[in-house]
Amino acid sequence: MQTRPLMTLQVVVAAPQKIGAVPHGTRTTAPIASGHFEGPRMRGKVLPGGGDWTLLRADGVLELDLRVTLETDDGALVHFASFGLRHGPPEIIAALGRGERVDPSLYYFRTTPRFETSHPKYLFLNRLRAIATGDRRADGPIYTIEEIL
Amino acid sequence: MTTRRGFIELAAAATLAGCTHMPAPKKPPTEKRMSTTMRARPLMTLRLATAPTQELGAGPHGTRLTFPITGGTFEGDRLRGKVLAGGDDWAIKRADGVIELDLRVTLETDDGVLVHMTFEGIRDDAAPGAPYFRTLPRFEAPKGKYTFLNEMLAVGVGEIRADGPVHLIEEIL
Repeated sequence: MQTRPLMTLQVVVAAPQKIGAVPHGTRTTAPIASGHFEGPRMRGKVLPGGGDWTLLRADGVLELDLRVTLETDDGALVHFASFGLRHGPPEIIAALGRGERVDPSLYYFRTTPRFETSHPKYLFLNRLRAIATGDRRADGPIYTIEEIL
Repeated sequence: MTTRRGFIELAAAATLAGCTHMPAPKKPPTEKRMSTTMRARPLMTLRLATAPTQELGAGPHGTRLTFPITGGTFEGDRLRGKVLAGGDDWAIKRADGVIELDLRVTLETDDGVLVHMTFEGIRDDAAPGAPYFRTLPRFEAPKGKYTFLNEMLAVGVGEIRADGPVHLIEEIL
């Protein structure tokens, strides 16, 4: 598999909504307050109003379902959605839960972003698939997103 | 593997992303390096046998095409077996020509374990150079030998061959 850099995306999460035990695990929704993204072909900000709908499964794997709207610096709106998985050794996941800074290579945090836009300049986003490596920080994750070539 | 974007970009991407099967060169653990380690390793080659395509015609999201799966095989270092009949790939051909894929099948390993597999992906036959046929498989396996499948994301590179589609699937490390 070959990839090339698409963007680095940082989202800032607001207070999580702890919905609790549901049929498939423990559900927590993290509203997205803001954020920004930057890459060789596009840059801009994350609009408030998105969210990351997470589900902690019984096997300890966290499923993530992030949906946000990106606004490029030249005014295009891009719908962004990514499914992901996060898991790791219990002590590492506990440290993340306490908001500590952890080397992202010590846990598995990967997502598969998808994009939709109508803006002519960014139509290439409609025709690609991507993978991302996540780095969980206290105020929200940073994703390094690469286009799958 | 050839892709649509050209060798120079590939070489650059491979160097920048470390996204090859060779171990990434040791570099000081700068913050940038820490967060850009994108690596993969082979999981399986999946070969699907399909029945004639069901073309349902124009619908609200595009032209709906259903590819019934009649069987197939998968083979990798860690698992191998056959694809059970009864799955499908529910595809939509969008107005921009890209086909969105939505596959569900059941795999049966050679030691008798059933694994639920799905993928979402796209096939863009108009992509420059070569068709862009990429999928993002996910698996659900029962507790046991194949539990590792539940904890990974994967990428498939698809190819249409005379006897059906073939997907080279890699685990995202």
